[in-house]
Amino acid sequence: MALGSRGGWWPALCVGTAGSILAIYVLLVTSNWIYLGWHDTLYFFSKSRMWERFWLTVWTSTISTSFSLLVGIPAGYALSRFRFPCRYLIASIIDLPIVVSPAVVGAFLFGITTRFPFDWISEYYGIYIGRNVYGVLLVQFTVTAAFCARLMKASFDMIPTRFESVSRSLGASSLRTFFKVVLPMAKNGIIASMIVVWARAAAEWEGLMLFVGATEGKTDIMPFAIYLDWNGGMMGWVTSMSIVCILMAVSAISAMRMIGGRSSVW
Amino acid sequence: MNKIRNLALSPVIALFLLVTVTQAYGGEKRLLFHAGLGQRMALNEIKEIFEKKHPDVKVNFSYKGSGYFIADITRSKQGDLFMPGEEFYLLQAVERGFLTDYDPETDIPAYFVTVIITPKGNPKNIKRVEDFAKPGVRVGLGNPRACAIGIWHQKTFKKAGIWEKVKENATMSAKCIPELGNAAQHRAIDATIVWATTAVLYLRDVEIIPIEHTYRGIIRLPVGVLKFARYKEEAQKLMDFILSEEGRAIFHKHAYAVNPVIPVDKQGFCLDATTDQDMEYLVNAAKAVKDESFQVNEKTVGDLIEEVLREKKTKRAGD
Repeated sequence: MALGSRGGWWPALCVGTAGSILAIYVLLVTSNWIYLGWHDTLYFFSKSRMWERFWLTVWTSTISTSFSLLVGIPAGYALSRFRFPCRYLIASIIDLPIVVSPAVVGAFLFGITTRFPFDWISEYYGIYIGRNVYGVLLVQFTVTAAFCARLMKASFDMIPTRFESVSRSLGASSLRTFFKVVLPMAKNGIIASMIVVWARAAAEWEGLMLFVGATEGKTDIMPFAIYLDWNGGMMGWVTSMSIVCILMAVSAISAMRMIGGRSSVW
Repeated sequence: MNKIRNLALSPVIALFLLVTVTQAYGGEKRLLFHAGLGQRMALNEIKEIFEKKHPDVKVNFSYKGSGYFIADITRSKQGDLFMPGEEFYLLQAVERGFLTDYDPETDIPAYFVTVIITPKGNPKNIKRVEDFAKPGVRVGLGNPRACAIGIWHQKTFKKAGIWEKVKENATMSAKCIPELGNAAQHRAIDATIVWATTAVLYLRDVEIIPIEHTYRGIIRLPVGVLKFARYKEEAQKLMDFILSEEGRAIFHKHAYAVNPVIPVDKQGFCLDATTDQDMEYLVNAAKAVKDESFQVNEKTVGDLIEEVLREKKTKRAGD
């Protein structure tokens, strides 16, 4: 596909466009990094507050991702393999949290956590449900569970059903088939989806803003901390934490591409 | 099959863990404090001192933009204390019956004071409120429906009789006050009016011009214990601490006005020189952060000394 050949302007245009999009993003990061300056970069990156936020983000998203997987894998398998009534309706409802803003999720969570039996639990133990780190996990889980089911469906769709038929015809139960045949074949897809779900959980803040509210050092995961510091006029923190977020996202996406290979969702 | 059993068991284990942890949490009294984002720095300091004094009480903040609170409180009926970024929001809560014993005379620990900020060097030479009407000055205004500063812009310029002209000069309609600070910092506007507490966050990149008394707004910042507070006694203790001399002093360090009485007219504009000293400190603080040779001590910058030292530490504001 030499660029000089007949009609070569079209690939050249496409490559050029891709290049300019890339340039815009690279410019965004570098200009902000230059704005921050080397001295401040070292200063902010060496602060414990930065890494406390970082670990908070990492462990909360890891836990909520594992819960999402627990729900998402069977749900995705069901959506991919089984025919049941109202399948499309159910699939669309599961898709909801992907399309509606996480803010809606945040607002709706109020409705459930202040009603039976949760009001009773909160009264009995003297805690406010959702105003601590569990609230963060709850929001992350609610937002990503559906997303996870969707991605799992995509991974399972990629696997031909023939292998399952063969396995079952040889006398294995559906359960055994799932764990011994389907799951190993979907492994790459699952890992790739897991990383996307993880990144999505780590980027969540709208729902948190509405439902949880920030307590310094307890519920302010990276994106939320950025918002807080922006409001406090602390541009140094905003810029340096954004850079960490971007590095996190870039490594997650590249990891997904490397592990996921062809079965990555894109 | 072991794998499957593990999978099936893990939600049970998780639930068990959750219950254990909540039980552990149950031993302490954890106050839920709804507070405006802008008060974060001051309140975090207050929390630390308060928790040291009362080891059995922990304070959990729910920092949000003030506009979010009424919805939250209405829906959740949760929380012990409430300190929004404007009296307006607290009065809404009073109206809905969430707060029953609010007393505007005694429950105001601190005030916002309005000041003019311009980008570093003051390129359009803004000296007074009237200068906002000069042709070619790019003015940053707040949207009165989204943030309290917008209401004050309108009030101030209407009082000065230049509202129409200023509206023509306006190049942005901010949804929250940091937007104005950031715009001035990045030279997107030539002048705007913000609270002193906002201005102090951008000392390195903006110039501060105090407003003459007639147009200087004094904004009350009330605090109150919510009706459905779970720990009324502890919440009251924290509120008393916020209202004490010690609590007020912490607010003063972040450029709030804390005089117990500031004479104001009906609209909330300043009547006398009570806040003049604070304004002088603020102007000096802006000089001190930019100029290495400026003397930084109690005399020049007053209680803002910590803020000045914090901002001198890095090129970009932060700590």
